[in-house]
Amino acid sequence: MLNVNELQVGERIPELIVDVSTKTIVMGAAASRDWQPLHHDPGWAISEAGLPGIIMNNYTQAGWISRFITDWCGPNGRIGRLRFKMQKPICPGRQMRVEGHVAAIDRDDDALCWVGLELTVHADDVLATTATATVALPVSEPGAAWRRGDGHWQPRDLCPRA
Amino acid sequence: MSTLPENMSTLPEKVKSWMGEAVVRVDGVLVAEQGLWQNFCAAVQDGNPLYWDARVAACLTDTVIAPPAMLPSWCIEHDWCPEDQRLGLRTLELHFMLKDALGLPFGVVSEVELEFHRPVRSGDVIAAEQSIRYIQDEKKGRNGGVNRRWGIDVPYKNQDGALVGVQTLHFFSYRKA
Repeated sequence: MLNVNELQVGERIPELIVDVSTKTIVMGAAASRDWQPLHHDPGWAISEAGLPGIIMNNYTQAGWISRFITDWCGPNGRIGRLRFKMQKPICPGRQMRVEGHVAAIDRDDDALCWVGLELTVHADDVLATTATATVALPVSEPGAAWRRGDGHWQPRDLCPRA
Repeated sequence: MSTLPENMSTLPEKVKSWMGEAVVRVDGVLVAEQGLWQNFCAAVQDGNPLYWDARVAACLTDTVIAPPAMLPSWCIEHDWCPEDQRLGLRTLELHFMLKDALGLPFGVVSEVELEFHRPVRSGDVIAAEQSIRYIQDEKKGRNGGVNRRWGIDVPYKNQDGALVGVQTLHFFSYRKA
């Protein structure tokens, strides 16, 4: 379990590298039932939409970013907010690199700590997406974040701009 | 609250009437189930035990839960289903209604905000309401086309009416010269 008492602003999260293929993009689009042609039809994406190829949809990007966060914090962490700005498309043949660091820490009470994260997603050397997230981490009792009921679960917004 | 463009005359009456309203309601599209969310986990190679392992989940979330990031897709129907069960809505229908009404055939999501509340569990049925947050004025593009930005809010609730999450999407839509 991540020790929130040792966590510091600036701490880097281990990077995630993914070789993006047509399969990577189509699997994500299919799993989110997003059958817009720009996520599976290269001919349409290039000639009709003027894109360099099919592009990863926003649901799949959210999935990769969430996975990056929970790989780091483990299942005890509970994501409260996720915000991401897609600036350049992520297409097949690119290497996707997700990076991030702790940008803010805010102790809620004796049980819970809110951690703000700033993240980037590169496609090769191009900055494709910027993101922020706020995740709740338990201070000592592993299930503390998940046991917050509806009335007491109010995700803080520690990094308001992606 | 909706924000209108400075030049309201550029908006069709139909679009003006949508401001401040829940224009599209989506309900009963799918029943959440672990097999469906594991397709998503496989797509992003996410091995979080809360999505896969009932034994681990029992200690933290009582049952396995769906990845929060796929919340919006619980309100996207299958690409094909029997005619009598078909809602016929496109992915985020209100965005496509705006594209059609404003004559902007191409559109991409530029920014997404997600706020997560109660986790989605197997058996949940998620409902959503889509409303316009803002529409900006139409602008001329670099290549002679035109473009416009808008934002859409979508709160999601489960079958008990409990808030599951809120999604806000920001779009950039355009028409080529």
